[in-house]
Amino acid sequence: MVVGFAIVAAWEVVTAAGVIGFRRPIYNALSLVANMLGLAVLFLMLNAQFLFAAQVIVYAGAVMVLFVFIIALLNPLSELSLEPRGSEWIAGAVLGVIFAALFAALLFNRGLTGKTGTFTPEAISAVGNVQAIGTALYTRFLFPVEVTSILLLVAAVGAVYLAMRRIR
Amino acid sequence: MPVPAYTFLVLSGLLFTMGAVGFLVRRNPLVVFMCIELMLNAVNLAFAAESRYLNSLDGVVFAFLVITVAAAEVVVGIAIIVQVYRSGRQMDVDQLDLMKE
Repeated sequence: MVVGFAIVAAWEVVTAAGVIGFRRPIYNALSLVANMLGLAVLFLMLNAQFLFAAQVIVYAGAVMVLFVFIIALLNPLSELSLEPRGSEWIAGAVLGVIFAALFAALLFNRGLTGKTGTFTPEAISAVGNVQAIGTALYTRFLFPVEVTSILLLVAAVGAVYLAMRRIR
Repeated sequence: MPVPAYTFLVLSGLLFTMGAVGFLVRRNPLVVFMCIELMLNAVNLAFAAESRYLNSLDGVVFAFLVITVAAAEVVVGIAIIVQVYRSGRQMDVDQLDLMKE
């Protein structure tokens, strides 16, 4: 378990570095696919099978197909001049270190506190992961689910509207 | 031997930081979008870890909602990027200042 986690964690960090480091957008996109699949494996380790399936289907499937399709359509090879300058990389790295230090201070001061719930892995596997999440989604979290469905509708309408008109 | 919870949170923080650095540094709008996805994914990992180690399903449900919101955001964002490309403007986030006019 620990060895598996270490391998996947290293995979995640390397592919994330690929997302921000590669010069050609198609390599960035493929690194992001690899990163999302590694994250799906981490979800599986965390006993979140439903999230694993959603991650693979929605992210690694739909979202990344959209990204790769748009990259192929726009042919961004002509924009290699858009590279970050060296000074920008240094400024970004400094800000990243400050950000990471803040995160670390927060994490090691507070830790993982909170009220423990009743959904132990045994309790979840007794009813099934998808059933347990579905029950939670459509009882306690019914209102957020409805709001999200309206958001998806608005996004679809907005995308169609943007695709139809031409900005000057 | 199980993995302690804070290692997942450390990995999540690391991925979020890398996404934030990429967001600040890169200038291609598509890559900036990918960095936003990286940050959202890191948050999802933190949610799933909290959910697992606190024996609660709230984190998983919330991560699912985050995935949905991210999908909607990508659809609208890419539609805007394609519009900007079709209008013939330079694809550089430093040069895109339509809202100023």
